[in-house]
Amino acid sequence: MLRVGIDVGGTFTDLFAWRAGGAELRTAKVMTTPNDLIDGVLEAVEAADLELGEIETIVHGSTTATNALIERTYPEPAFITTEGFRDTIEMGRPHREHLYDPYQQRPAPLVRRTNRYPVREKIRADGSIRTSLDEEQVRSVARRIAESGTRNVAVGLINSYANSAHERRIGELVREEIPGALVALSSDNPKFRELPRFVTAVVRAALLPVMGEYLERLEATLRGRGFEGSLFVIKSNGGMIHSSGARECAEELIESGPAGGVAAAAALCEHFRDGKGLLCTDMGGTSFDVCLIEDGQGLVRDDYEIDWDLPIVTPMLDIRSVGAGGGSIAWIDGGGSIRLGPRSAGADPGPACYGRGGTEPTVTDANLLLGRLEPTLGGKLRLDPDAAERAVATVAEPLGLAVAACAEGIVRLCVEQVAAAMKLVSVDRGRDPRDYRLVSFGGAGPMHAAEIAALIGVETVIVPPLAGVASAFGGTMMDVRYDIETTFYMPCEGVDLLALNERLAALDAEGVGRLEADGFAAEEITLTRTAGMRYVGQSYEVDTPLPAEELDADAVRTVAEEFNACHLREHGVASEEFPAAFVNLRASVSGAVPKPELAGLFAQTAAIGAPSGTTREVLFGGIAHETPIYQRRELGLDARLEGPAIIQDVDATVLIPPGDRVVLDSLGNVVISIGRRR
Amino acid sequence: MTPRTLDPITFEVLRSGLEYACERMGRVLQRASFSPIIYDMVDFSNGIFDADGELVGQAANCPVHLGAMHYSVRASLERFGADGLHPGDVVILNDPYRGGTHTPDVTMTLPAYAGGELIAFAASRAHWTDLGGGGAGGQAFSTHIAAEGLRLPPLKLVEAGELNSDLVDIIRNQSRVPQYVDGDINAQLGALNAGEAELLRLADRYGHATLRQVMREVIDYTERMTRAAIRRIPDGEYEAEDYADTDGFSEEPVRLRLKLTVDGDELSVDFAGTDPVADGAINSPEANTVSAVYYSLKFFLSPDAPANAGMYRPITISIPEGTWLNPSWPAPTIGCTVLAAPKVCAAVWQALAHAIPDRIIAPTYAEDNWFVASLADPEVKGGHVFSDLPPGGWGGTPFHDGMNVTEEPNGNCTNLPAETAELLFPIEYERYELRPDSGGPGRFRGGLGSVLQVRFDERAELSMECSRTRAGSPGVGGGRAGPPQRQSKVGRDGRRATIGGLTEDGRWLNCLLSNHPFAPGEAFLFESTGGGGWGDPLERDPQAVLSDVLDGYVSAEAARAEYGVGIDLERGEIDEEATGALRATVRAKR
Repeated sequence: MLRVGIDVGGTFTDLFAWRAGGAELRTAKVMTTPNDLIDGVLEAVEAADLELGEIETIVHGSTTATNALIERTYPEPAFITTEGFRDTIEMGRPHREHLYDPYQQRPAPLVRRTNRYPVREKIRADGSIRTSLDEEQVRSVARRIAESGTRNVAVGLINSYANSAHERRIGELVREEIPGALVALSSDNPKFRELPRFVTAVVRAALLPVMGEYLERLEATLRGRGFEGSLFVIKSNGGMIHSSGARECAEELIESGPAGGVAAAAALCEHFRDGKGLLCTDMGGTSFDVCLIEDGQGLVRDDYEIDWDLPIVTPMLDIRSVGAGGGSIAWIDGGGSIRLGPRSAGADPGPACYGRGGTEPTVTDANLLLGRLEPTLGGKLRLDPDAAERAVATVAEPLGLAVAACAEGIVRLCVEQVAAAMKLVSVDRGRDPRDYRLVSFGGAGPMHAAEIAALIGVETVIVPPLAGVASAFGGTMMDVRYDIETTFYMPCEGVDLLALNERLAALDAEGVGRLEADGFAAEEITLTRTAGMRYVGQSYEVDTPLPAEELDADAVRTVAEEFNACHLREHGVASEEFPAAFVNLRASVSGAVPKPELAGLFAQTAAIGAPSGTTREVLFGGIAHETPIYQRRELGLDARLEGPAIIQDVDATVLIPPGDRVVLDSLGNVVISIGRRR
Repeated sequence: MTPRTLDPITFEVLRSGLEYACERMGRVLQRASFSPIIYDMVDFSNGIFDADGELVGQAANCPVHLGAMHYSVRASLERFGADGLHPGDVVILNDPYRGGTHTPDVTMTLPAYAGGELIAFAASRAHWTDLGGGGAGGQAFSTHIAAEGLRLPPLKLVEAGELNSDLVDIIRNQSRVPQYVDGDINAQLGALNAGEAELLRLADRYGHATLRQVMREVIDYTERMTRAAIRRIPDGEYEAEDYADTDGFSEEPVRLRLKLTVDGDELSVDFAGTDPVADGAINSPEANTVSAVYYSLKFFLSPDAPANAGMYRPITISIPEGTWLNPSWPAPTIGCTVLAAPKVCAAVWQALAHAIPDRIIAPTYAEDNWFVASLADPEVKGGHVFSDLPPGGWGGTPFHDGMNVTEEPNGNCTNLPAETAELLFPIEYERYELRPDSGGPGRFRGGLGSVLQVRFDERAELSMECSRTRAGSPGVGGGRAGPPQRQSKVGRDGRRATIGGLTEDGRWLNCLLSNHPFAPGEAFLFESTGGGGWGDPLERDPQAVLSDVLDGYVSAEAARAEYGVGIDLERGEIDEEATGALRATVRAKR
């Protein structure tokens, strides 16, 4: 059997494949084909020298959904909502993105006002019907939508989480009036708070035709070329879904690339088994992403914003991004001080040393001048140190600094910025970064990871093998996962146990049913239950684990105590004085797929024997060190190195500063132990 | 200005280190707070001050605190003297006449020591839900500040690490929501401790002499940036005025006048000619007025510069004593942050409109529209307190239309979702949507305001601080105002009656509502105004007007009357012929 992960990113399409238990490994990296992403997928398969006919499973991640959303290239849906709430999805929440920018604007509404249709109906928070649905009005609205040529329709009614009858009826009427209508109901994600629920329905309706078309075409193309296996799609919750069900939950397919990276990190670090979590980081040209992993699972959030103030309710990996990367530009501000970013030279023109017309100094230029970057970028591009020097001089001169000192300063600012951002992410989730290992992905990641780790007190940095195709590899390690959720607002004290257990059982049954339909046997299915809980009077929730058995009064008391502990961890405080309440219930089910034996698989990536070292002069703290350069593919699994050293990988450079030590572990991870600084 | 002596990289690392310290204080405070007004409304700020009490850096989550917090640090220093403060002390205060602005804003100050030497202060200000007084949340419209709740002069909440539990008991006893008190105190102390830890980390790594030098240089740095920004404004004197509709008692508006003078790299604002102290709750203590001037200017003077005392240096502010913008005890001040500050901001922007017409944006709705309703509930002893701030629109800019329904510049709150409110309170949201035609007409239109209609299942009493009910916010450069705001009651039969603002027959009803009663089944309807327009509406691109009409942001009637654009609604097109004639007619009428 052959299991293949294919991740379509903004620049590259990556492939990772392994055969039966891990006997054989293949990778490929080709340029993404923006005109038709499927071309790139086929090219990757070809580049890896694979026959589609011999592939049992393809796990696919793609930027299709994200791109359609960001570029607003989806066919605009119509939106039907409760009279009086036509503008909810446009108004959003009233706070602003920038405190003092007089010229800021809100993002354009996902659906124009003229395509938003209010209808007479009203349901109360307890689910009772205050105003019956005006069906004639709905029919006439649906006919107007049909006349406008729109086929995709989102429905979002106030309080529909408590009673979905009106939304379901509108769905029926719309299908009757609009042949072939694609309908998304907000009550399919029955969580309270109208804005995120409405936005989720609109996003789903917008992407239904996009993802439907894409996935159908992908599958037809693959089948046409002999593929007879199963096609899965990576979801943003860290699991995957069979392609047949994927278009129905298109909002869960955005940000699938980072989800693959998180799965890869979790898989490659599983053997540490000492309870420490992972800071999974990815630093490229323009941004730095971080996600916390605990017990092999990325932390999730359910208030992810696809744009400023456009939150969706779907549980997604909590991936935070800061505008710092290799392309970040250093500049002098109006007060005469040096600043770094958030503007980036991006891919075009790119850093000055790329010789594509860039003149502003970037972090990459600084690294080149310090000797940290290989001047041919692994033979891919002849970097221009003179251009880098000229660029850095534009800020060094006004500051009265030597170019080398300024270059080192730019890198230092970059590292400080990322370190501060990572500390804030930890503060926000109540975690201490010192309790974590740092996993470094991305073209610019391993170059800075050791210095970042030293600043935030992390002792170990891990640079996984084949990092350039990490997301594709991660895809092949994912299980099928569904999160089934509902709103259940009730204080713990005096909770209706019958209702609580019924609701939980219904969630379990729904999740398990979906996995059984996917062909999983009972022993392959894992179920976990979570409650979103809060103190009465609060307006935010903290996820609290629930037992899998039926809950009695004692169990609820235990849950309330567990909530106190979770609140203490996430927020640093807990209270005996406030009663706890249930708000949301969630059943997460996953169906396990076969995994390879990783040590055997990755042993193939390491060489045996002594590396043939060259050296280069590299600046650390203003002092030039004659630094050995190793090719990663030449390092054996028993390799031990001491900083200063540089390990050159295909897509990235691993920098080991003086005082740090390196071993390669059994999977070929470069494991850096951070030494004492100063 | 002191010459730079530090290496520029270390300076930038420490500068962002101080910024990070403030940011971290804010995250700790927000995360650990139990009261929704801190957690959701983000009504708090945190700052670092040097040993003399000068602001070095501030994570101003709430701009109205920008220039007011050093008054608290200074009052704490004055009360105890540097000799009277010791490691492990924290000073608390909220007295508007001793370092505060209005009673709900409680400030705590911690002196930080390294090597036995006072190196800095960390200070944290947060809006507490309730500190007693005549109305919930201090919302009592009296003529005496005693009605606005407990006033704390500078007191040691913590002395040598020991919490003053007697003081905490007094505070709890005074509050309508004593269950929040401990949590909020702990959250603010947590923020101060986080700030102190960051300061000590920097002092430890770089030495406290270097840290103190950086604090001085960061202030110089902001001063340089501010002066450079002032130089970009043409020299001259620019006047403006604005007003609050009432102080709750007066039938006449309460006015403010200001003259903004730019001379090279210095700027001064003089409030001579402003009305005397008001009887009611809208008075603004000096700290609040000064702060309002700073945050209004910051939008156009180096918004990215660190918020610190360097911004204060080239700016002189003169507020005659005895005016409502510089009152003394016992004038009530509860409305200073939510009502007075937005008027100061609108006036500053109107003055700047004369100076930098191509960069200024038109005034926002210039209100917070803060209402608090106490709701009866047969099932809940003491009932509920339900509060919100229905926003209006922002002004048109030189580049595009203003933002719809966005929180006033003085703060950055979010709101309560209808479904959350309905789950928690015996109320029903009947409407919360854009108010068509509420954006001030202009070449770039003001953003739209909102319509909020909430029906009460049970008996309710509603208090609200409000203004802009006589006229909407003015436009700039020929731009115009949107319609005024209006407070109404909608009966069970669906009939609407004005309870604040202008009635159909042109009468004006007082818009500072004080415990206004609602019977079960009656609804409160509030229509907010949009931002002012930027530039002449007759110069607006007719295609933009058409698009507005098709989306219902602007009615076809307003398109004709205000923009001189005829729309053929049947065909969804501009009536070119009519438009030419209409624009000529409107122009001729001027």
